[in-house]
Amino acid sequence: MYYHNLRNSIENFMYIYLPIAEQPIHSLVILSIGAFLGLIMGLVGVGGGFLLTPLMMFLGIPPPVAVASVANQLVAPSVSGVLSHWKRSNVDFKMGTVLLLGGIVGSSIGVILFNFLGKIGQLDFVIKSSYVIFLTLIGTLMFSESLRLILRTRKGKVTRGKLHQHNWLHGLPFKIRFRKSKLYISILLPVLIGVIVGVLAALMGIGGGFIIVPAMIYLLGMPTSLVVGTSLFQIIFVAANTTILQASQNQTVDIVLATILLLGSVIGVQLGSRFTNILRGEYLRLILSSIIILVSLKLLIDLVTVPTDLFSVIISR
Amino acid sequence: MKFFFHINLIFLVSILTSNTFAQNQIVADLSQENVKIATDFQGAKILLFGAYDGKKGDDIIVIVTGPKGLVTVQKKEKILGVWVNTKKVNYINTPKYLSISSNRKIDDILNKKTQKISEIGLNNLKIRIQPGIKVENEGNWRQALTRNMLKSNLWSINENSVTLNKDSLFRSYLELPSNVTTGQFEVKILHYRNSKLVSQQINSINVLKSGISAEIYDIAQNYSTLYGIFAVLLAVLVGWGSNLIFRKV
Repeated sequence: MYYHNLRNSIENFMYIYLPIAEQPIHSLVILSIGAFLGLIMGLVGVGGGFLLTPLMMFLGIPPPVAVASVANQLVAPSVSGVLSHWKRSNVDFKMGTVLLLGGIVGSSIGVILFNFLGKIGQLDFVIKSSYVIFLTLIGTLMFSESLRLILRTRKGKVTRGKLHQHNWLHGLPFKIRFRKSKLYISILLPVLIGVIVGVLAALMGIGGGFIIVPAMIYLLGMPTSLVVGTSLFQIIFVAANTTILQASQNQTVDIVLATILLLGSVIGVQLGSRFTNILRGEYLRLILSSIIILVSLKLLIDLVTVPTDLFSVIISR
Repeated sequence: MKFFFHINLIFLVSILTSNTFAQNQIVADLSQENVKIATDFQGAKILLFGAYDGKKGDDIIVIVTGPKGLVTVQKKEKILGVWVNTKKVNYINTPKYLSISSNRKIDDILNKKTQKISEIGLNNLKIRIQPGIKVENEGNWRQALTRNMLKSNLWSINENSVTLNKDSLFRSYLELPSNVTTGQFEVKILHYRNSKLVSQQINSINVLKSGISAEIYDIAQNYSTLYGIFAVLLAVLVGWGSNLIFRKV
């Protein structure tokens, strides 16, 4: 009897009532999800935001709260990441600033869009379907890329591409010199990339690392060594802007949820960066991309299967 | 709590036997009048107990009604292969919590007509659709509302859940789920004899957010920008701190 009571009270203690999501949740579950994604972040180098939000939705957190709170938690690992990249001088602050100007405009547009979609009752649908599109895209790209790398290294061939290619995008006006990145390109391009990533950050609760990193490498032609640090630098500001706007416009930031998640993730990131040498990058990316594809499949299935009840209710506060 | 409950019962029985209270009355009390939603809230179970001036075959119905307000019912339709919310109906004046408990089947206590007049039963609630909206198949929407509210445990029918004792004491457990809304809840206790209302009493439960949870909610609502800035600063601090701590390890 006593044992049972004790166990019950420990169980009760583990549950934390989320003040904004307005529901109790098991704190260890959230903590370990945060740690798991932090681990991925530390191992692979891309943010776990795009997996975190869907996982929160699977746990029953309302999508608007999940998106806004994940944006909040993203600030922590980004700050931590930028600091360590800065030490190795891997951040192009000029490029980062141009990107983040676009990002702030984009995330502001995103929050307004978020608010509007909520009013017409399509927010959940837009969040879920954009996740299906982006996760499928990223998952398959990452999967085929890492598979190709694995097969190629098995054959023992190593090929090296051009540093970067010139295309029509480099012909745009308002050119600026980015000394650190050794680039002389139009300012419009990084601003536009920033805007797009900002909108997605606000709408999906992601840092946008998986979009901005390839864009910086392939579209801007930035040196790979600078890409991660610079993207993390701009993510801090985009995520911060998103958090503040979501909080003030939509009141959807759950600080308790975000705090538990970020505590988990900072621990996970540190663990992850310590284990980087155990598994080869390609294999890690192969595993990660399989998880991403599974998550997007689950979301897709939810969207296309006939709902058990066509009707649902929303209780206004 | 059980101990106090027994003391209360003894007290009530002594009142009953000493004839000090008038005929046809109900005396009721709740184990908890304020329900606080704190960080450990997982729902609440409240004991309602009391005494009534009953005869053999009398019935007790307990109706708990939460705050009323706007509840929207949405309907999904298939568009290009995916299910999207396309239509909605707003119900105003809808109780966000409702539980109807009785000592036996309500149909055995009251006939359908009386149920309708006294607004007992989920289909007898006077809920209105927001004026100005034309709705086809209104019945379907109303059914959907009831079905979904039942599924989320915010509405419930609990027949046989009121325990009667010696035609003078009753007790019942009221369950508030973890997703319950805050506000004033009305607890109405109805005493029927041969399908006629003999007496009734109204108590109330106040559900409120309390502790850190309530403060966070208040700040998020009233000082939302400041709340957002604080959330960001906290994250920056944790990120920076983790960098300092783990650097040396």
